[in-house]
Amino acid sequence: MTKKTISRRDFLKTAAAASGGIFVFGFLNPERGVASAQDKTLLSFGQTWDAAFRPVQEEFDANWLAEHPDVEIEAVYSTWADHNNTVPVWAAAGTLPDIIYVHGSRVAPWAAEGIITSIQSFVDADPEFEVEGIWEEALRLYRVDGELVGIPYDHGPLILGYNKDLFDAAGMEYPDETWTMDMLREAAIALSDPDNLQWGWSGELDLGAGGAGAFLGGWGGVTMNEDETEMALDTPEARAALEWWYNLIHVDGAGPSQAQAEGGFGDVNGPWLQGRTAMAVVPSWETPGLARDAAFAWDVAPWPEGPVKRETGSFGSGFSITSSSVAREAAWSYMREYLSTEGMSTVWGSTGRGSPAREAAYQSWMDSADAPEGAGYYLDALKEYAVTGGPFQTLAAPEVLDILTRQAELLRLAEVSVDDAVNTIMAEATEALEALES
Amino acid sequence: MNLPFFNGKPLSRARREERIFYLFVTPWLIGLVFFWGGPILAALGLSFTDWSGVNFSDIKLIGFDNYHKMFADDLFWQSVTNTVFYAVGSVFLGTIFALFLAVLLNQNIPGIAFFRSVFYLPSVTAGVAIALVWTWILNPVVGLLNFGLGLIGIDGPGWLQSPQWVLPALIIMSLFRIGPNMIILLAGLQDIPQSLYEAAEIDGAARWAKFRNITLPMLSPALFFVLVVSTVGSFQIFVEIRIMTEGGPGTSSFVLVWYLWQQAFVYLRMGYASAVAFILFIVVMILVGIQFWIGSRLVYYES
Amino acid sequence: MTSINRELKKQNTAKYRDSRFGSITGRKKVNVVVALAILIPLAILFLLPFFWMVSTALKTRPQIFVFPPRFIPDPIMWGNFDAAWNDFLPFNTFLFNSVKITMNNVIGNLVSCTLAAYAFARLQARGKRIVFGTVVALLVMPQEVLIIPQYILFTQLGWNNTHLPLMIPAWFGWAFFIFLLRQFFMGIPQELVDAALIDGAGHFRILLFIFIPLSKPALATVAIFSFIGNWNNFLGPLIYLRSEKLHTLPLGMQAFQGQFGNTDWQYMMAIATISLIPVLVIFFFGQKLFVQGIALSGVKR
Repeated sequence: MTKKTISRRDFLKTAAAASGGIFVFGFLNPERGVASAQDKTLLSFGQTWDAAFRPVQEEFDANWLAEHPDVEIEAVYSTWADHNNTVPVWAAAGTLPDIIYVHGSRVAPWAAEGIITSIQSFVDADPEFEVEGIWEEALRLYRVDGELVGIPYDHGPLILGYNKDLFDAAGMEYPDETWTMDMLREAAIALSDPDNLQWGWSGELDLGAGGAGAFLGGWGGVTMNEDETEMALDTPEARAALEWWYNLIHVDGAGPSQAQAEGGFGDVNGPWLQGRTAMAVVPSWETPGLARDAAFAWDVAPWPEGPVKRETGSFGSGFSITSSSVAREAAWSYMREYLSTEGMSTVWGSTGRGSPAREAAYQSWMDSADAPEGAGYYLDALKEYAVTGGPFQTLAAPEVLDILTRQAELLRLAEVSVDDAVNTIMAEATEALEALES
Repeated sequence: MNLPFFNGKPLSRARREERIFYLFVTPWLIGLVFFWGGPILAALGLSFTDWSGVNFSDIKLIGFDNYHKMFADDLFWQSVTNTVFYAVGSVFLGTIFALFLAVLLNQNIPGIAFFRSVFYLPSVTAGVAIALVWTWILNPVVGLLNFGLGLIGIDGPGWLQSPQWVLPALIIMSLFRIGPNMIILLAGLQDIPQSLYEAAEIDGAARWAKFRNITLPMLSPALFFVLVVSTVGSFQIFVEIRIMTEGGPGTSSFVLVWYLWQQAFVYLRMGYASAVAFILFIVVMILVGIQFWIGSRLVYYES
Repeated sequence: MTSINRELKKQNTAKYRDSRFGSITGRKKVNVVVALAILIPLAILFLLPFFWMVSTALKTRPQIFVFPPRFIPDPIMWGNFDAAWNDFLPFNTFLFNSVKITMNNVIGNLVSCTLAAYAFARLQARGKRIVFGTVVALLVMPQEVLIIPQYILFTQLGWNNTHLPLMIPAWFGWAFFIFLLRQFFMGIPQELVDAALIDGAGHFRILLFIFIPLSKPALATVAIFSFIGNWNNFLGPLIYLRSEKLHTLPLGMQAFQGQFGNTDWQYMMAIATISLIPVLVIFFFGQKLFVQGIALSGVKR
């Protein structure tokens, strides 16, 4: 039997052919994105919906396209966690979509960088859009230098969620609108059994833009002043609030320390999701997830009243037209319907996603299958006592938020005292703010 | 090397070898020039600007300001110490563990293919799954690690929830990812001729002596690679921080690449981030240079 | 010509190799037991994420969060795999894209890196140190700050929203693999090379007919690493591929991650499990290349 012989020439020929073939194959299938047909405007929409929600979006798009046959929509999907990283990258090369999702915390930095620009002119020329039907607190997030740079689509307050099963087992009354912080504390202590890994309170302490209102507002404390030029945490009111929440966890033992709260999901709300915590903060945007994940009966109640007043925080997200867009007219004609009362109701009111940014669209959410029974309390909060807390306007906001979050984490771990935490925050955040001016 | 002048006569071997060398590295050189060189030079240049990473029109040269700012930032220095601590721990422990496993798996044990696959598995599993399982393992109250420690009477610390123990926790977690290093050492072990061991046994050498005098030297090229690559990799740890600690608790697990990422993509300070990247680059290059220098003395190549 | 090749193989490799490579023979039984006693508990530990992954893939959503955690779901939702693959996004397309990019890159890496590694290991040239220095430098450079300049570069080339930025660079080397192969190539004795050169073989033939057959473990390692790196690559596709029809498996998997607890963990883990299968198969069967024992010795004329 003769051995198979491969001459060098043959080998080189096959290798070259193979490599060349693959190379050419790669080139011949560049599979560029959607190319616009001759007479149609191309509208690209950068979103972050998860796979389960995309059909809803596609249905809306299909209906909209039926009314606007001269436009073609290109859906550009990123993941929610990475969207804030891909947008600057795309912006640098000028390949941003026409419309993008913009989280409330990104409005100021992206506007300052010129990624998103004012759409006030569109809004002013379009009274039918009824921009005044959108919560003022929500619009505030998207206003830069007095002009709107985006339109919010949802705006959610933080209110109290509770585990009905645990309350029933202890024979206690559910929280309601009469509750004060002291009552919350009493109930939390009564429902705590740390040895059996059960707690009355989730042990959260959130000083972010949504959380500061909830955790400090009831005592009259704020993190920053109105125009976000100075830190305002070093007040007796704010300290009192922080002490109160700190003691609830570490002195009363009514909430897990962060060490105990790790639920095996990298999520500090582990015990709440597992049904081991009687009460927690439940912003409106967490209700759809809870509806599907919770293996216990739950509902929501108004955020309890603090010693000074009843106040909670709120925050939201929206959409903007990018400055590099060449289809601004088409983009606005899309957004005005996407974010109209009907649009909001269809896309995320009735799908149960969370509180729409328009009061008129609220009923659709409250009627949806996933909404908790107490969904109306979110509406009350928005109307009466929810405040969009800072920082979100100053360009140092991301840094200040990180500083606040880090110290809050250490407080939850009892690694620092309230005094030290406040002093550190004041020092570091003031430094960050001053660095802005230089 | 004295090369004869090219004047139409047949080239000498050295000159021909040089030509072939450059022929073989042509793809690398092209890639260097077109795909990587440009961006690296750009990043270096950007480190002297205050660019936000978004608009070209906004680039302003600010000289060494970024570097001044960096060296004055406490958080930067904390990131440095955290990163060095983590790197030392994970390279040292990881290499020993990888070597241990490689030697163990170089034998004719039943199910050898299964075991090798198992130890390599975490390196290819979705990072999310690994992160979640390890968050559970490291849970101070209900986690596996403290449970095991409790069995031998030790009160386990807070691990990821403790500013003092978060870096050791991450080092332990890094042992989970030694799969690739183990494979490389395994491949290196495969290359050692059996005859050497037999000759040593005839001479009556003990097991440790065989390991020290045959295995280690013959394995040294692969071992050297593992050390260098582990060092580089550990200084660049990022994904685990992003998923599991975000630099916390507080700033106790702030590492350089996380610091850099925050600056670049959250605070939109790409120029500053480029400066940080360059300092990181220089530091690691120095370390690797030292390793190569030591390697030139200790690594045994068959040439 | 080919007889020279045969001679090379015969003479040099026969001298160098014997058929009992790769496994330490003559061990007593006790060592096997000791080894297993260590390996089995460790293996269980290393398998935990995999167990958790598969277990989660088979659960209904509320069951994922119960405490204490259950490893065995009840009911077992085998249908999750089908649902995750077929009911949401075009995973068949994603799979095709992943395969295409990965296969291309594995071959490209093997070709380009082997050439360069041989050059660094066995050839002398002026400026060799500098060129190798660039290899090490690229290994050391943090990739995060290169994202934007590279993206701009590829956009200028018109390669945005295509597979090209993910496929072409693989043909031009990868520092990690070049370094790895260089180490292994440097372990092959110079006498083999010298003898072959005396016989009149060119370097390319030496590479092809001596080094490559002798470096099967190293090449297999590179192939496996390259496969896995490309198969699981997320950031590159995320940035460069806007159109859904170009997306790869990791992007599809991440699509199940929603905001604020809207994540369908069970589907995400189902995709992760499916995505793991080709990797495991390749690795498991690639084991064979780690065992030398191929009869290169005693070749008959």
